[in-house]
Amino acid sequence: MKTMKKRTFLSVIFTLILSVVLASCSSNETTDPSSSTGNAGKSGNKVTITVWHAMTDLTAEAMDAVVKAFEAKNSNIKINSVYIAQQGEGKNEKLLAAIAGGNAPDVAYFDRFEVATWAAQGSLTDVSSYAASSGVNADKFYPFAWEEVNFEGKLYAMPTTTDARLVFYNKDHFTAAGLDPENPPKTIQQLEEAAEKLTIKDGKRFKQIGFIPWYGQGWFYSWGWSFGGEFMDTAGKVTANNPKNVEALTWIANYAKKYNIEDIASFTDSQGTTTMDPFFTGQLSMQVSGPWTVSQAEKFNPDMNYGVFSIPTPTGDNHTTWSGGWATVMPKGSKKPEAAWEFMKFFSSEEGQEIFSEISGDFSVIDTVNEKLGYKEHPVFKKFIEVLPVSNARPVMTQGSLYWNELANAVDLATRGEDPKTLLDKVNENVSKALKQ
Amino acid sequence: MLKEKVVSEPIFPQAKAKKNKKLGDDALYGWLFASPWVIGLLVFFLIPLVSSLYFSLTTYGILQPGEFVGFQNYKDLMSDTVFWKSIYNTVYFVVFFVPLSIFFGVGLAMLLNMKVKGMSVYRTIFFLPTLVPSVAMAVLWMWLLNPGFGLVNGMLDVIGIQGPAWLGSETWSKPSLIMMSLWGIGQSVVIYLAGLNDIPQDYYEAGDIDGANWFDKMRSITLPLLTPVIFFNLVMGIIGAFQQFTLPYTMTGGRGTPADSMKFYVMYLYDNGFKFFKMGYASAMAWILFVIVIALTGIIFYTSKKWVHYQGE
Repeated sequence: MKTMKKRTFLSVIFTLILSVVLASCSSNETTDPSSSTGNAGKSGNKVTITVWHAMTDLTAEAMDAVVKAFEAKNSNIKINSVYIAQQGEGKNEKLLAAIAGGNAPDVAYFDRFEVATWAAQGSLTDVSSYAASSGVNADKFYPFAWEEVNFEGKLYAMPTTTDARLVFYNKDHFTAAGLDPENPPKTIQQLEEAAEKLTIKDGKRFKQIGFIPWYGQGWFYSWGWSFGGEFMDTAGKVTANNPKNVEALTWIANYAKKYNIEDIASFTDSQGTTTMDPFFTGQLSMQVSGPWTVSQAEKFNPDMNYGVFSIPTPTGDNHTTWSGGWATVMPKGSKKPEAAWEFMKFFSSEEGQEIFSEISGDFSVIDTVNEKLGYKEHPVFKKFIEVLPVSNARPVMTQGSLYWNELANAVDLATRGEDPKTLLDKVNENVSKALKQ
Repeated sequence: MLKEKVVSEPIFPQAKAKKNKKLGDDALYGWLFASPWVIGLLVFFLIPLVSSLYFSLTTYGILQPGEFVGFQNYKDLMSDTVFWKSIYNTVYFVVFFVPLSIFFGVGLAMLLNMKVKGMSVYRTIFFLPTLVPSVAMAVLWMWLLNPGFGLVNGMLDVIGIQGPAWLGSETWSKPSLIMMSLWGIGQSVVIYLAGLNDIPQDYYEAGDIDGANWFDKMRSITLPLLTPVIFFNLVMGIIGAFQQFTLPYTMTGGRGTPADSMKFYVMYLYDNGFKFFKMGYASAMAWILFVIVIALTGIIFYTSKKWVHYQGE
């Protein structure tokens, strides 16, 4: 009898411990009264959806404005917008863990070129049927943006922003160095000459540096395409070691050798962002960057006299660039897909795009919105908008993240003296192998 | 007498039964109180451990179950150049950091064991860095070693040396890391101090009578009797150094730049598991690391018979 009692007592305690542990794991679900409904259309039931993003500063203000506008229009949906520091290219571990653990947010702000990789892993919800029933289709979006959110004929995300890459240059530096600020470099040769004139070196320290090809947005995609290279052929085969790509990387490697990579590293490692950005502090004369630099310049150095030019090419024509951008995704396991979709739809609608784009200074993925916001008349923005039609997008593939990392590593190793051809061959091999798996 | 016996006889078995029961209760309560730990061990340690052994034989990718591939992951690792580079970096770090940490640890402990006024203040000062969280420490050192405005290069400038790029330099990145890791050895210094205090004064007095100088005493008394503590710190140091992660990961944003010189074993393992969805591959790496660490620890334990001297033996 007595032992029986003991057993019961023990099991009660065990259950208590377990229930406490388990309850703490799922507390946010049980305390949310609206969790069972999940239907955005029903009036009276207020639905709360969680949105993860990694936006700070200007983009964070823009995000808040979009959320506010959405809530004003949809009184029955409340957005719980959560800042997650670890989100974006190559740092989605938190989202990954959340999806694997079944505790994913309803919507996540996501780097668009990684959509295919994640969709292939089965970690994103297919939103094709929602799009079909609410009449959302490719029509109003830039083609490359729409291409990136689709994978194997299904829609996995909604595009939100886009960008492009051009070279920003400090006009005052040009004048001081005896260069014509209204006639910026067109060829690689001219770029190198200008950079040489703009560089002021004291011993091992740079007081001012003309140009660093791999700094800022000088990713290898920028240079590969500008040299006329390709990263994937029409059959979907990886072509990292395209001869033109090798040429581009060789140029980068030689540049690093010429200016001594350790000295450049000393310079770049000392730099910060925002007000400490070397372009805004006048320590860097030219840099590859995106449209966000314009709104940053307004905020951090409004008096700066700068302009933009296309990324130079070896021949001085056929200028090109590439565009990335962001998207909203619905991670697998979203508990309120209807409400989540409503938010995604709103974010990518003309209305949402206009609010976000105006505050953040990022381009909309809808051409008419960019026009309406006056980006086509803006002296700098219009150069970006002009280049968008010839812009490239990173290959839509299941190993997009790996490809990106491998290329970034190849550039780092090439600047440190390793052979460009061997490096790109290796990238090709690794990515091709991963694609086959 | 008889009555007494009658009375005492029935009490005895009863008392025995009670004692047995009490023992059973104790065990029960013991397990009960240990249960959070037992559950934690099973759920968060043993089960993941065993599953990772299985996963290392599959192409498991967190979100996808993957398929069984036998020893393919291990085979692939052998021809993975980044894997070997990460091994080289990690071994480099272990080889330099562990002996240096013992050398400086013992040295510091001896200094902090002198009979000087205000010693507790000095001891506290040397222990303080251990309280700094790794990420804060990484950020702090990034500023100290900042090539342009850093304190270190600033001081080198004063004596007319233009300092290197430190963390941005292929040659200096690992030495920088070793340097900043040495900054946080307060923990082992405390253990060495305890070890020093454990050495009886008698030996030193005997040494004095025999006319031993400071060096003799150090060589024949202090160091031999400190070997058990050195042994402990050596094993723990090697295990810790092989798992170097937070500092280089924070300082290079996870990339291990420049030129992969800061790509450490566990960083590459983490990248494979959580960035490239290759958890099976990462599990294989984890087991290889486990085998390396176990083997090294085994060797140290085996040789310890020759060089570790316990008091009273």
